[in-house]
Amino acid sequence: MNLIAQTVADGLVLGGIYALAAVGFSLIFGVLHVINLSHGIIVLMGAYLALIFSETLHIDPLLTMPLVMASLFAVGYVYQRFLIQYAVDSSAFGSILLTFGVALMLHNIMIWVFSPDMKNITPTYAFTSIKLGPIVLDAVRVSCLVASLVLLSCLAGLLKFSPLGRVIRATAQQTLAARLCGVNVRHVYALTFAVSAAFAGAAGIVIGIILPFSPADEATWTLNAFVVVVLGGVGSPAGALIGGLLLGVVSTLTAQYIGPSFPNVTMFLLLVLLLLVRPQGLLGNAFAPSR
Amino acid sequence: MVLHSKKATRRHVMALGAAVLTAPAIRSAHAQAKTLVIGGSVPLTGAAAETGLNVNNGYITAVSYINDVLGGVEIAGDKYKIDLKLFDDASDPARATTLIQRQIDEGTNFFLGSFGSNIVLPTAAITERAKKPMVQTGGGSDAIFTKGYKYIFGMFPRATRQFAATAAMFKSLQPLPQTYSVVWTNDAFSKTAAEGVRLSCDAAGFKRIEGYELPAKPTDVSSVLGSVRSTNPDLLVCVMHDQNSLLVARQMVASNTNVKLLFQGLGPQLASFREALGKHSDYLCCSTYWDENVPFKDKFFGDSKKFIEYYKTKFTRPIAYHVAGAAACIETYVLAMQAAKSTDPEKVRDALAKADYETFYSRIKFTPEGDGDELLMGGMIGQVQKGKLEIVFPAAAASAKPLYPQPTWDKKA
Repeated sequence: MNLIAQTVADGLVLGGIYALAAVGFSLIFGVLHVINLSHGIIVLMGAYLALIFSETLHIDPLLTMPLVMASLFAVGYVYQRFLIQYAVDSSAFGSILLTFGVALMLHNIMIWVFSPDMKNITPTYAFTSIKLGPIVLDAVRVSCLVASLVLLSCLAGLLKFSPLGRVIRATAQQTLAARLCGVNVRHVYALTFAVSAAFAGAAGIVIGIILPFSPADEATWTLNAFVVVVLGGVGSPAGALIGGLLLGVVSTLTAQYIGPSFPNVTMFLLLVLLLLVRPQGLLGNAFAPSR
Repeated sequence: MVLHSKKATRRHVMALGAAVLTAPAIRSAHAQAKTLVIGGSVPLTGAAAETGLNVNNGYITAVSYINDVLGGVEIAGDKYKIDLKLFDDASDPARATTLIQRQIDEGTNFFLGSFGSNIVLPTAAITERAKKPMVQTGGGSDAIFTKGYKYIFGMFPRATRQFAATAAMFKSLQPLPQTYSVVWTNDAFSKTAAEGVRLSCDAAGFKRIEGYELPAKPTDVSSVLGSVRSTNPDLLVCVMHDQNSLLVARQMVASNTNVKLLFQGLGPQLASFREALGKHSDYLCCSTYWDENVPFKDKFFGDSKKFIEYYKTKFTRPIAYHVAGAAACIETYVLAMQAAKSTDPEKVRDALAKADYETFYSRIKFTPEGDGDELLMGGMIGQVQKGKLEIVFPAAAASAKPLYPQPTWDKKA
């Protein structure tokens, strides 16, 4: 019984982090209909920026979050407005090719700037653990899970209650109607991408704290985000959270009871099953009902 | 037209005169510096880039020293400078095979290896088919050395033989450990290395508790550590690449998963790894194939210390044993060519098969299958002690005694 509880707890912690890493990808997919293949590289940019800021300012890596998110918000806005938008305008697949190309370029620039060596963010509490009865949890992972849940809640609140969230939802649901109401759709798209990049950066900090990272990891985080979005549904933090938690729990249960080398097998099996049974994901498309 | 013709004639005469005057000098320069092309690919980007860069830097250091400091090498009475033609394979076996095939088509006769058995294996198949030698320091998988290849030579023993020295070190510990568990990742190198661990440890009489296979890129090892806590082996052996080793070590510390000794094949050798774990890196053991204090003499650099001295004039990157192994590949080629008195690939291959040379890296002698001799080129065991990697086995090369058992993680902090 203890083993099951420990395994599920480990899965939930891991799943929370997967969810945060995927939410930006989900939002861009839901609102802009762009499959952002440079998502993983933006996640890693967050990790590298956190490393730089925490070492330069001598502060806890989680405290670098506002700085990292602000930096990537700006980068995301410019990237979408002045690059991706042109690709979206020109052809349906333009954005996929463009984001793939940008990911390749940034990957190599990162190697040039930071070297291909693995990096690591080590906060002061990196090696402490929390005991809840018989369950032992890694303090770093728990703190990262808490950060993930807070950020996902903030994003859900932003989308639901703020004027910006209303405009994003309106644009996603009825682009033409939003445009007729005077919404600057291109600006909203760029803001959505900027918010997504900021959240990808925040996920990068969390990932950088729990895992060693190097530029070679970018594809892993794009792929994980894709799986989470397909499982949970497109466009909402709740969908990303459900997909992430499901992925995390399935991974740890598989590792424990089938074999540590099998999580990828069950992960993709689940993906295929869900595509067959419920292709819109567990929570569906957050913006679909009004289409 | 006539005037033009006269001018042209004068120019021609002058050019002819200049050519006659400078011809001996050109011939002499040509005689001084024939070019010996050595090709290959290395992973400068992608998953294997961290160690790939070390391998690359080792090749460059040796070639640069031979060309710039020694002015080239003499082979069969001719002076040669080495032209190194290395390309980035991006840690991608498919790209590596394309690059190697292209170099063979262009006439390259000698090859150096990439890093990672998954890349070395398919590229070795191509060079073998073309009957061109490859000397490499990046592939240890048994599959490279058990296919009957005649032209492939490695600077390590094959993976299943690499662990014999470590098992011998385990046997020397007091109190004698009784049990072990082994963890590996799902890739060619780790799987064969784990097989080697099982063979060597079982032969040495240790009782195996569990074997755990992780995905090639694990993100969480808590289930494995839960099992380790419940089965409590004396020794935990992890054979995987350094990034994954760090994940295991960090999660072991955080979840207070204790064993009497943690051996990590790759990881603790790197300064960045030790820095990331801080005091928790103390007592960790690893394999190492070279150390600055090894006693070998060398025809080119003199010894290890002089090699490091020169390396530091070229690179700021911390030195690792793969750098030395890569430089030794170049030296081995040159020594074999000098022994063969030829740059014919077949004759050089035969000389490599008979190699018995001393380099600053180690004594170089290959088995009939092409991997490094188990005794002469087998690994040393390093242990992190007070943040520094000390050689603890074999006794002849040891700079410190092994510390065992390790204290629990909370006592190390």
